[in-house]
Amino acid sequence: MSNASLEATVDPAQVQGWITTLGKEPSAAVPLLQAVQRAFGYLPRKAMDLIVENTDINASQLFGVATFYAQFRLDPVGRNLIKVCHGTACHVQGADRLNTSLRHVLGITDESEDTASNGSYTVEDVACIGCCSLAPVMLIGEQAFPNLKGADAQRHLVKHAKTVSEILPGKDGGENPKSKENKS
Amino acid sequence: MSGNGMVITVGEGTCGIAAGAPEVTELLKKRFPEAEFKAVGCLGMCHQEVMVDITNPDGKSYLWGNVGKKNMPKIVRFHRGEGEIPEQLLIRSSDETETEKYQYLTKQTRIALRNVGQLNPTSIEQFRARGGYNAIEKVIKEGMTPEDVIEEVKIANIRGRGGAGFPAAIKWGFARGAEGDVKYLVCNGDEGDPGAFMDRSLLEGDPHTVLEGMLLAAYAIGASKGYAYIRAEYPLAVEYFGKALDDARQSRLLGNNILGSDFSFDIKIKEGAGAFVCGEETALLASIEGERGMPRIRPPFPAIKGVFGKPTIINNVETLSNIPWIINNGGAAYAKIGTEKSKGTKVFALAGAIKRGGLVEVPMGWTIRQVLEEIGGGSASDRPLKAVQLGGPSGGCIPDSLFDTEIDYDAINATGAIMGSGGMVVMDGKSCMVDLARYFLEFTQLESCGKCTFCRIGTLRMKELLTKICEGEGTMEDIATLEELAPSIKQASLCGLGQTAPNPVETTLKYFRDEYIAHVKDHRCPGGVCKGLITHTIIQKDCTGCSICERYCPVNCITGELKKPNTWVIDQSVCINCGMCVEVCNPDAILAA
Repeated sequence: MSNASLEATVDPAQVQGWITTLGKEPSAAVPLLQAVQRAFGYLPRKAMDLIVENTDINASQLFGVATFYAQFRLDPVGRNLIKVCHGTACHVQGADRLNTSLRHVLGITDESEDTASNGSYTVEDVACIGCCSLAPVMLIGEQAFPNLKGADAQRHLVKHAKTVSEILPGKDGGENPKSKENKS
Repeated sequence: MSGNGMVITVGEGTCGIAAGAPEVTELLKKRFPEAEFKAVGCLGMCHQEVMVDITNPDGKSYLWGNVGKKNMPKIVRFHRGEGEIPEQLLIRSSDETETEKYQYLTKQTRIALRNVGQLNPTSIEQFRARGGYNAIEKVIKEGMTPEDVIEEVKIANIRGRGGAGFPAAIKWGFARGAEGDVKYLVCNGDEGDPGAFMDRSLLEGDPHTVLEGMLLAAYAIGASKGYAYIRAEYPLAVEYFGKALDDARQSRLLGNNILGSDFSFDIKIKEGAGAFVCGEETALLASIEGERGMPRIRPPFPAIKGVFGKPTIINNVETLSNIPWIINNGGAAYAKIGTEKSKGTKVFALAGAIKRGGLVEVPMGWTIRQVLEEIGGGSASDRPLKAVQLGGPSGGCIPDSLFDTEIDYDAINATGAIMGSGGMVVMDGKSCMVDLARYFLEFTQLESCGKCTFCRIGTLRMKELLTKICEGEGTMEDIATLEELAPSIKQASLCGLGQTAPNPVETTLKYFRDEYIAHVKDHRCPGGVCKGLITHTIIQKDCTGCSICERYCPVNCITGELKKPNTWVIDQSVCINCGMCVEVCNPDAILAA
């Protein structure tokens, strides 16, 4: 991942705090990683090393678990996270178009990338979030947007970017296509 | 109570929130500052979200559906006595007969879902007022032995609702008889099937019922420790279940010496971390122990040697939700519902190309057609329904010709699909069955833990072949290879994931072979879905030249002059057939075929 600017600074005392509450035994591996990811949005290498040094969990188990479960990511995440649901109901109703549309305004063209070049947004696919009757659905942060078409996803993103003062590096610099339409 | 006696209840399950319930509540609070506000879980009429029930100070109540910012003034005026009743939004009112919309609920038989949407999930008082925790009280105060509890569940003959359908009482009997100083009861809330949300609705809409079911199961098998394994993707379920645990502990319904007896049991929440295979019980146990969620060889079965090597029973959320009802009403009453071999009711998550989607609980023995038509209201469009997908990635597609199949574990297995946990995704002519099979194989291939070669590599090969067919590059030999691979993967895989992964391919090949052949021989996708087999063209006579398609096209392949309809063309060499233009085109002037 190219986004060195998004790397988190890990405070060892904070990691130690989680270990104190969640335990040192091997069964604490998943909850510990969840605590780290909740704080940083991903699993910084420094935090992983600290867990290995200060618990009974060895590196092989910890990295094994971190790479097994879909929830965990080893790369830094953008300042805002978009989750696009790809459950069955969302899939058959065109969830792919949400990705195409979002990536387009974010200017993400490289298939192996999921984060905009300016670190503003990350677009992640998730398995079913369980709102199947409102398919297709996406989440920006915690907020869910139901019954989307590709164009709707783009509109919500453009609106969101304005409220959090982010610049969308994609086509038209993220200018709302609708507003352009009104001018013409 | 302060205020004017008006009570406003808003459905605030995950789907209600997604549809905008918090915003609706805010607006209503401004309009009716005197009213008392209540939040309830999801009533299961997801197609009507946001739903609001308003009880006037005179006691008359009205349930409104599809409430939003735009139509709210009509409702507000009506409740202020200033306007006509907005009938198109009404679902039910206390002084009128129910609307057709309400029959979505009245036609169901709700046992597992009996409280969902009827109470505030964070209120133990409301739960108790509806008869909650009566079953565990009955067991303890009337001195029912664990064997008596198992016997009652045996008479009910309830089969595990997680998918496999193993009789719950038999499983409990194994653990009851197993040797061990500590026994565990695990609630499996790792609802990983895409297209299923029954367990989410139960956990976030009625967490105490699940908890009471766990208490009864723990009492029956002699467990002292419990885990509720809940998907991390369900934050609201985790929060509400956690609140339920705290409140139950306060009321001495959880912890040491429950209700003053010598029965002690406590529960910890374990959040899943996003692995479909963890729905398989031995993988789930590995995950609780902090390992990669990889299945283990059985025997020993978890009932003998489970989590941390101790006897463990893993029950599904829906199974557990039925148990308190069975204890309160008797196993015989439960066994009266359903078919000979499948008793009780089944909850389905109905979604897809259906008019009324949501949570559906019907007696076993109903037909699929009844669910789709009587409750779902049929197709959402004017296109007829062509198939339902049951059981998610482990299940199969049932074609319209078999819609009269009864909902019964064995009858559904006979079609090649499985009951599964209850996802029911409906498809019409605009869906491609080959693409659907590819979608599921892509899913199982990603989710395969990698332990068994046939599952790890076999599903990958299947996915590659299906992708090839979807791209129009497939041959008849590829279809034959798929048919050869399927039984091999089933036989050579350790757990349910691999053993059922080929089901979506086998059932679509069995019932929709013509679609495969259309892809291979005619290079045509009948559903108009597969990108490699469709082209997008502008229908000149319908085009208005508005240029909206150009603005949304992610690859800039559409060009023309503004307001000059005949000038617009799509450059086929650049077009990626994403379909964005079709979505945004107002006059429907873009053809995908």
